[in-house]
Amino acid sequence: MNRLKTCFDKLRTQKRAALIPFITAGDPTQTLTVPLMHGLVEAGADVIELGVPFSDPMADGPVIQRASERALNQGTSLRDVLEMVKTFRAQNQTTPIVLMGYLNPIEIMGYETFVQAADSVGVDGVLTVDLPPEEATDFCLLLHTHTIAPIFLLAPTTIPERIKHICTQASGYLYYVSLKGVTGDAHIDMTSVAEKVKEIRQYTKLPIGVGFGIKDVESATQVAKVSDAVIVGSALVKLIETEPQEKLLEIMPAFVRELRKGMDTSL
Amino acid sequence: MFDNKNKLISPTRVKICGITRPQDALLAAKLGADAIGLVFYKKSSRAVSVKQAQSIIQALPPFVTVVGLFVNAEPTFVQDILAKLPLELLQFHGEESPDYCSHFDKPYIKALRMRSGIDIQSSAQEYSEAKALLLDTYVQGVKGGTGVPFNWQEVPLLLSKPIIVAGGLTPNNVSRAIMALHPYAVDVSGGVESTKGIKDADKMSAFLFEAKDFPQKHSKGASMSIAKSFSIQDTQSLPDKNGHFGPYGGIFVPETLIQPLKELQQAYQHYFKDSAFLAELNDDLHHFVGRPSPLYHAARWSERLGGAQIYLKREDLNHTGAHKVNNTVGQALLAKRMGKNRIIAETGAGQHGVATATVAARFGMECVVYMGSEDIKRQAINVYRMRLLGAEVRPVESGSKTLKDALNEAMRDWVTHVDNTFYIIGTVAGPHPYPVMVRDFQAVIGRETRQQIKVLTGCLPDVLIACVGGGSNAIGLFYSFLDDKGITMYGVEAAGDGLETGHHAAPLCTSKPGVLHGNRTYLMSDKNGQVIETHSISAGLDYPGVGPEHAWLKDMGRVKYVAATDSEALDAFHDLTRLEGIIPALESSHALAYCKKIAPTLDKDKIIVVNLSGRGDKDIHTVAALEGIEI
Repeated sequence: MNRLKTCFDKLRTQKRAALIPFITAGDPTQTLTVPLMHGLVEAGADVIELGVPFSDPMADGPVIQRASERALNQGTSLRDVLEMVKTFRAQNQTTPIVLMGYLNPIEIMGYETFVQAADSVGVDGVLTVDLPPEEATDFCLLLHTHTIAPIFLLAPTTIPERIKHICTQASGYLYYVSLKGVTGDAHIDMTSVAEKVKEIRQYTKLPIGVGFGIKDVESATQVAKVSDAVIVGSALVKLIETEPQEKLLEIMPAFVRELRKGMDTSL
Repeated sequence: MFDNKNKLISPTRVKICGITRPQDALLAAKLGADAIGLVFYKKSSRAVSVKQAQSIIQALPPFVTVVGLFVNAEPTFVQDILAKLPLELLQFHGEESPDYCSHFDKPYIKALRMRSGIDIQSSAQEYSEAKALLLDTYVQGVKGGTGVPFNWQEVPLLLSKPIIVAGGLTPNNVSRAIMALHPYAVDVSGGVESTKGIKDADKMSAFLFEAKDFPQKHSKGASMSIAKSFSIQDTQSLPDKNGHFGPYGGIFVPETLIQPLKELQQAYQHYFKDSAFLAELNDDLHHFVGRPSPLYHAARWSERLGGAQIYLKREDLNHTGAHKVNNTVGQALLAKRMGKNRIIAETGAGQHGVATATVAARFGMECVVYMGSEDIKRQAINVYRMRLLGAEVRPVESGSKTLKDALNEAMRDWVTHVDNTFYIIGTVAGPHPYPVMVRDFQAVIGRETRQQIKVLTGCLPDVLIACVGGGSNAIGLFYSFLDDKGITMYGVEAAGDGLETGHHAAPLCTSKPGVLHGNRTYLMSDKNGQVIETHSISAGLDYPGVGPEHAWLKDMGRVKYVAATDSEALDAFHDLTRLEGIIPALESSHALAYCKKIAPTLDKDKIIVVNLSGRGDKDIHTVAALEGIEI
C-alpha cells in the first residue's frame, strides 16, 4: 500500500493533522539533505516534501528561489534527488516522500524512466507545480501503475467545477494553495482558507493539505484545525540562510518540533 | 469580423451596375452575377426610368438581387421609386447621413469615395446599419463611374463591415483587386461596357470568369499538402481549444493562473469578433502606430547582391520603432475591456517594455516592467524611456538576471495580483491563449505585405525571411502566407558565436522539446532539464525558448529554421545602413544576414520579403563598443 495512504489513515484515527515540511534537495549541500530529512522526521514530520531544484521556479518566492539556486550550484540534478531518496529509504521505510518541482527536468529525463526510478527508490507522490491535470493525463496513468500519487494544487481562483474534476484525478492528498501569490508570501486569511477547505471537502474524501504562507506556530496551529495537513516551506528554508550551516541539523528540527507541539496541543 | 484573412474558398460576389437594357440583365444573370444595379440619378448616363426598370426586373430570373442606386435624392423620390419597383437593396452614393439611409426601412449599402485621409473604420461605425460599404474612387466633382481604381493599399484589413470594391475594375485587374483586398463583393459598370450604359457580352463574361474563377484557381493550389498532413485545414484549425499546436503549446502553469487564463481566452475570443473593439484597434494601429507600414524595394541592396529583388517590410517605422507595439496596443485594449487597470510586462532589450509603457501611458494605466538587472545595465536608454513614460522598471536579480528571469518574475507578480492585473506577454510564447493572441495581433504584418506586394509587383513573393527569438515578428509575417505552398519561408535564429560553440540562442536549430513559461516547445536546457543561458549580440533574440507554433511549423517542414551568427548579423547591419540608408535593429539584421546569403542564389525576377522588425537606433552603442568606439 502507498505510504501516504497508511500515513493519513493513521493520522485520521488519531484525529491529528499531518505536518509536512518542505526542503529543497541539495540545499545547502547535497550531503546535508538526507540527515536533515531524518532530523525532520524525528521532530515530528509526517510526510516530507522534497523540492527538486529548477532553474526557473516561477511559482516560488525569493526564499525558495535562492534555495534552488544553492542546490543547482552544488550541481544537484533530478537523478541526485532520487539518489537521496534511496539513501533516506535505507533507514526509513515508513515516512512518505513527495517530490515537488517543475516539469522540465522530468520531461528531459523521460516520463517512463523517471516514474520507474522514482518507484524503485521509494517515492510516494509527485507534485509538479506547472503541470495542471489537463496536461497530465498520460503522466498520471504512469504514476498510478506504479502506485505513486499524483498530487495536484487547488487555488483560491479554482472554480467549483474544476475542483470536482481535479479531485477525480488526484490521489495521496490535495494541496490547497492558501493565497494568490508565490511560496512564502505574506499573510493567509484563515477565514477564507477554512471556507475553501470546507468547499473542497464536498468533492473528495482525500486529505486536504494547506500550504503557502504558513510561517509560525500560530498559523500552523490554526491551519491544523481546519485541514488535514500543514505544509511549511519558506519559513523552514529561510533558516538555511540565516543560521550557520553546522547548526542546521539542530535548528531546523527544533522549529518543526515547535510547530508539531503547537498543532498537537490545540487539539 | 470581415477581414481579408485568406478565406480563398469563399467566392467573391459580383454586382454589375448601371444596367439599362433587359438583355444585359439577363446575360449578367446567366453568366453568374449575383446582383444588378439600376441607377436612379438623373445626371448619370446610365440612369433608368421607372418603366425601363420594370422591364429589366421582369426579365430577371430569381436569386439575382436588384439594387437601386441613388445620389443625394429627395426622400420622397426614393419612396416613390420604392412604391413602384420591388428593389431589394438601396445603394446611397452621395453625402447621405446614416439617419437618411435608415429612413426607408430597406437594407442598404453606403458608398464611400476613397479620398486620402478617409477613415473607413469610423464610417463603418457611423453607418452601423449598412449591410456593407462600397468603396469607390474619388475624383473631384464626379459621383461614381470614374473608371480609375483607387489605391487599394489604403483599405484597412480588419473591417467590421463587409466591403464591396468598385472603381475602375476591369476583367484585367479584378483578380488583383480580389487578391489584394479579399472583398465581400466587386462592383463593375464601365469596365464591362462597349459604350455608356451598354454592356459588352465578352467583357462581362471575362469579368465574371476572372472574379468567380479566381478563388477556385487558387484554392486548388493551396489545398495540395505542403508537407505530409499539412493543409489549409491544419493551419486554420490550430491551435486546439487548449492551445496545442501538435504536441507543442498548451497550458503549463501553476493552478492559480488557470482560471485567469480561461477568462483571458474568453475575452480574447469575444472581442476579436467585436466590431467596436476591432474599430478601436484599427484606429489605434492607424493613427497611433502609423500603420500600414510601407513595403520598400531595397533596389540598391538587391542590385549589389545580384540576385532576387528584396523588399523590406518596414516595421521599424512603427511608433516606438519595432513591431512590438502592434501587440501591446491590442492587449492593452483588451485589458481595458476586461476592466484591468494594472499592466505588467517582461522585457529583455527593452523594446517590448517600451512598447508596453507606451500603451500604458496612452491608456492611462499603471505599468510595471520586469527586467533582468544585467539587461538594465546593458540597456540604460530604454530603461530611462520606460521611466519617462511613467512605468516602474523593477530589476530582477534571480537566476541569470536576463529575459527568462524577468518572465518568471512577471508570472509571480501576476499570480499575486491576478484580480486587477493584465500581463502583456511580448511574444508568441507563454501559456495559451498568448501564442495565438499575439500571433493574431501581429498577423497584420503579413496581411499588409500580401496586399502591398500584389499592388507593387502583381504577384506573391517567392521567399519570406524573418528573425526568430520568441518569434512574434516572424509569425506575424508568415501567418497570412502559410497556405501558399509555393512560398519558401525562413526563420532565422541567433547563432551567437556559432552553433558549434554552444554560445547561441537557437533552440529550433539545436535543441529538443521541453517545457518552460507555460508551454511545450523547443527549449535550450541541459541534460538535467535545467534551462541554459543563451547568447546573442541582440538582446531581443536572447531567449532559450521559442513560440510553440514555430516548433510545429518546423516539425511540419513548412518553415525552414536557420541561424545567423553575431558577425554575420553585424555585416548585414552595416550593408543595409550604407546601401539603403536604413539602420536596422540587430535582431532584424539576422534576417538580413540570411537574405544576403540566399538572394544571390536566386534569379532576378524572384521576390524576397524580409521583415525589418525594428530600427537600430537602440543598438548603436553595442555596435560602437564592438568597434572600440566610445559614444
